[in-house]
Amino acid sequence: MYKRINLFIAVLFVLPAFQVIGQDWVVPAENSAIENPQEYTLKNVKLGKDLYMVNCKSCHGDPGKNNPLPLVPVPPDVVSDQMQSNSVGDLYYKMSIGKGAMPQFETTISEDNRWRIVNFIMNYNSNRKQLLEDKPPVKAQLLASINEDDGTVNVFAEYEDKGGDYSKLVDVPVIFSLKKTFGNLELGECITNENGRSDFIIPGSLIGNEEGFVTIVVSLGEDYEAKDVILENAKICMSKEVPKLIRQGVIWSTNDNLPMWLLLSYIGMVGGAWLAIGYVVFQIIKIRKYSKE
Amino acid sequence: MNKIESPEESRKLLDKIFKDLTRSIVKKDELTRFWFFILLMFIGVGLWGWIIQVDRGLGVTGMRDYVSWGIYIANFVFFVAVSLIGFLLSSAMHLLKIDWVKPVSRVAEQIAIAAVGLAGIIIVMDMGRPDRLLNVFLHGRFASPIVWDLTVVTTYLTISVLLFYIPLIPDLALLRDRLGSQVPKWQLKVYSILSLGWKGNPKQFKTVYHAMRVLMILIIPVGLSIHTVTSWLFASTLRAGWDSTIFGPYFVAGAFVAGTAAVIIVMYVYRVRHGLKDYFEDKHFNQMGKLLVFVSLLYLYFNVNEFLVPGYKMKLAEGIHLSNLFAGDYAPMFWFAQIFGLFIPIILLLFKFFRKPLPITIISAFVLVSAWFKRYIIVIPTEEHPFLPIQNVPENFHHYAPTSIEIMIMLFSFFAAIFIISVLSKLFPVITIWEYAEEKGIDKKYLSETPKN
Ligand code: HEC
Repeated sequence: MYKRINLFIAVLFVLPAFQVIGQDWVVPAENSAIENPQEYTLKNVKLGKDLYMVNCKSCHGDPGKNNPLPLVPVPPDVVSDQMQSNSVGDLYYKMSIGKGAMPQFETTISEDNRWRIVNFIMNYNSNRKQLLEDKPPVKAQLLASINEDDGTVNVFAEYEDKGGDYSKLVDVPVIFSLKKTFGNLELGECITNENGRSDFIIPGSLIGNEEGFVTIVVSLGEDYEAKDVILENAKICMSKEVPKLIRQGVIWSTNDNLPMWLLLSYIGMVGGAWLAIGYVVFQIIKIRKYSKE
Repeated sequence: MNKIESPEESRKLLDKIFKDLTRSIVKKDELTRFWFFILLMFIGVGLWGWIIQVDRGLGVTGMRDYVSWGIYIANFVFFVAVSLIGFLLSSAMHLLKIDWVKPVSRVAEQIAIAAVGLAGIIIVMDMGRPDRLLNVFLHGRFASPIVWDLTVVTTYLTISVLLFYIPLIPDLALLRDRLGSQVPKWQLKVYSILSLGWKGNPKQFKTVYHAMRVLMILIIPVGLSIHTVTSWLFASTLRAGWDSTIFGPYFVAGAFVAGTAAVIIVMYVYRVRHGLKDYFEDKHFNQMGKLLVFVSLLYLYFNVNEFLVPGYKMKLAEGIHLSNLFAGDYAPMFWFAQIFGLFIPIILLLFKFFRKPLPITIISAFVLVSAWFKRYIIVIPTEEHPFLPIQNVPENFHHYAPTSIEIMIMLFSFFAAIFIISVLSKLFPVITIWEYAEEKGIDKKYLSETPKN
């Protein structure tokens, strides 16, 4: 009985998938012929990669790794022939409109960005020069020091070349971020000069902890395998104003915050009562004295 | 009162009054001994429980992180409440020149001393480290209601003791002069020291009256403060069920109810046990019954405000708290306290029959028990709903139930309070002889005469 129901459910779900497979994904000729308005440059490919990582990787997997989500039909790998046989216009059209399990991105990703993703996909096209290469990260070293007087961080970067020697790293972005409780806050980046050096000016408006200290993390991009430099307790920014946790006048606050009126009324009332008690005790003494008369 | 002219008559009447009112002092019988034995035994058991608690820590109680005020504090509030009757009967009504209250006021004063004394002791018993009690005084914060409470409890205790003692001075002299061999030597010695060599001259009487008047006026603000400040321990927080602006008068009104009931019970016991039918007359019970109705109606009024107004709005936290009281876990206790402690007594006591000594004493017992449960309901349910998420805590953090150690210590407090009252009534007359004699028209000069035996 259960088997039958299971089968029924399986058929119910698989059937539409077969229907989708059955039809080829045809792109109208005029759409197919559109050229990419975004230039095929390293910058655009890189931007496209970032977008791909966020929007598409979860289903299509890493380029060339053949690790897609097992959907029906399987989302093709970016480097696969199935993907690369598409024209630029086809890719744009297909990702805009979607089909079956492939979502429609027309409304969620801007036109420019969709074209940038196309550029990223075309990065793996055999007819084009590959601009963005997936090479293993290069071993590198990073040195950084902080100049508290003018609020700059000076860095020097070098990498290990094939011979195993270290030489300066030129024209490479170095990323500066602030260490926070829950992760790092990126401040910005700068490109190393021909000497492998670079200076980064910490924004003056930065707010540190109560004493004005911050911890700066200097790192190289993901192309390099280098230890981050952590500059701890740098005093280069304004100190944070911490509100007093115990507000003045709150009834359970400390004696230091005791409002004067409260202390005076307490002393006044208690003092008054005990003065009167003292007076009564004095009367008792008087009664005793009178007994001797 | 009609003045008694003949000295013979005066002397005879004074002798009779003295004999009646000192009967409790000179009586030595099995029942008294048995009574003190029972009291001391329970006190001993309670103290044993306390020793266990000091030794093993407060973990032996049912109190945990969320409910950190258990029946000890409920008990404390109860005792503070009961003690307040001293202020009402022996001061406020005296100053209002309500005559019938005079014999009753001594009883009220005894109860006040016993209750406020135990209120202080129970606080120490609630401490995990009672050896650090001094720190409350050394490092207390003046902004904390707990420090205010401590101050006002000690002040009230002092005033209550003085108010008990000063009217007693002429009586102590009487006891010193007249009891002779009827009591042990040490007891006579105590009387003679405490009576301050009283001669009974007009200057002394004037001073006694003056001191009494000062105390009676002083005890009004202090008495009101003691229970108002106790209510602030709760009302100065933001907790549902405690965050109330009428907590001060609500507590004071409730205190009058509990205290009046306690006085009626003790009066009845004295009347029966010491044969004081002519002193605690039916008329006194009748009047106390009317007083109980009056203060109960007042308390009912505050109850309506305290529960109906938030119950009408049912704000989130308040709503959870109230439904817990009205229909939840605490409903039986809540409705018991309201029905047997308030509604039914008010209705019954409207009839003269129920203001007769025995019926009113039974009703008072119900009122007193309900008063205790009412304090439990004020203290504990609120704490089971803190404004903190209760998650990933042991099951016994969620609910509070007193352990046997706590019940032992609670019994200790009851029996200790009864013990104090018993001792006071065993040592001193339960009605001031000289005041009573004076009221009966006996001139003061007969008081200082030593009778020929
Ligand atoms: C929810 C999973 C999912 C996501 C996310 C997803 N895809 Fe797809 N994609 C699919 C599936 C499934 C197919 C196969 C559809 C078919 O052939 O019926 C597909 C097909 C495609 C095709 C057509 C390939 C061919 O057969 O010609 C392109 C182009 C494509 N996806 C691009 C993208 C891009 C670009 C993104 C990110 C913006 C993306 N997809 C995000 C599931 C996904």
